[in-house]
Amino acid sequence: MASIIRPSLLAQLRAAPLSRRVFSTRSLPTIGSCSNPSRRPAIRSHGEPASLAARSSILPHSVGFHATPARPILPPLPQRIQGTTNEAQPIVEHSATEGGYHWAFERIIAVTLVPLTVAPFAAGSMHPVIDAALCATIIIHSHIGFDAMITDYLPKKRVPKTRKLFEWGLRAGTLVVAVGLYEFETNDVGLTEAISRIWHA
Amino acid sequence: MLANRAVQTSMRRLAARQPGLMALGSQGKFAPPAIVALSQRRPVATERLSDSQAQNSILVNQRLKRPVAPHLSIYQPQITWYLSSAHRITGAILSGGFYIFGAAYLVAPLVGWHLESASLAAAVAAWPFAVKFAAKVFVSLPFTFHAYNGVRHLIWDTGSMMTNQKVIQSGWTVLGLTVASSLYLALM
Repeated sequence: MASIIRPSLLAQLRAAPLSRRVFSTRSLPTIGSCSNPSRRPAIRSHGEPASLAARSSILPHSVGFHATPARPILPPLPQRIQGTTNEAQPIVEHSATEGGYHWAFERIIAVTLVPLTVAPFAAGSMHPVIDAALCATIIIHSHIGFDAMITDYLPKKRVPKTRKLFEWGLRAGTLVVAVGLYEFETNDVGLTEAISRIWHA
Repeated sequence: MLANRAVQTSMRRLAARQPGLMALGSQGKFAPPAIVALSQRRPVATERLSDSQAQNSILVNQRLKRPVAPHLSIYQPQITWYLSSAHRITGAILSGGFYIFGAAYLVAPLVGWHLESASLAAAVAAWPFAVKFAAKVFVSLPFTFHAYNGVRHLIWDTGSMMTNQKVIQSGWTVLGLTVASSLYLALM
């Protein structure tokens, strides 16, 4: 394995007495290699095939030239080759709700939130209509934010069903929160007044 | 050129089928590779693997075991991506809390909770000052950070302040404003 890459290693293997030290990556002076200041001891991979050790009894537990731990962050996905080079590139379907209009709508909501959040607390009092508008804008802003997170972390090609589940779960959640905040606005003093009272309690 | 090629191919075929006719083949000195390729036929059988079969093959499983070069674990901490992740995380926390309150207010009568503003205000009033201050800081930090960084994003959407230096400056400005505003709001 490694001996193919480093013939000097193979030569040392034959010459030196067989011990665990021979297979360590720590102290093998190969031709042209400089001392590595951040040397790590060889880490045994859990997925190492046992056939290599079983084949020859002289080998200790297998070591390899691993510089990364056995559990990588975001491991590679199973590789699938779809189609051939002779097939045309699939055309992405157009959507009126995604794309440029969605982006502009998102920014409009974000810009609206800036004065809507500051004004009532600065002025001291709040008209219920503006308070309701603030609630609605916060809900829409939160929905767009969560939707962006779902789009980023649950790609359709990898987890199509989970993605659908979360998308519809988000829509249901937004609906529930909208109804709940409507009830809060109707039965109680309103969002800004409630925050003000709790803050200064 | 095409005529030469045609002659060449037909000569090869002739040599392959009837080597005795050609002076080369009859002397048995050597067989040019082109003739050998035509005269020897090696049947090779291929089999078609279905997609699920291919996935469980040894090669695919070995590919999964190959080491991955480190990426997230070695990326240099920079204000760009730290603040970007913080923007998303604070947004998720604030919206998540908002959603939880909205849903909880709706189910409160069914479960027996009291989530009206009057009861919440009375509950908070009973806390000691240190706890109240800590809770206010805990709420206002993500809120002010998300607000200021949101404004920074909107400035970027107009196209300005997008050089590396400006991004770093605006990032540190946002952090300073966040801390100052949080302390002011918590002490209010």
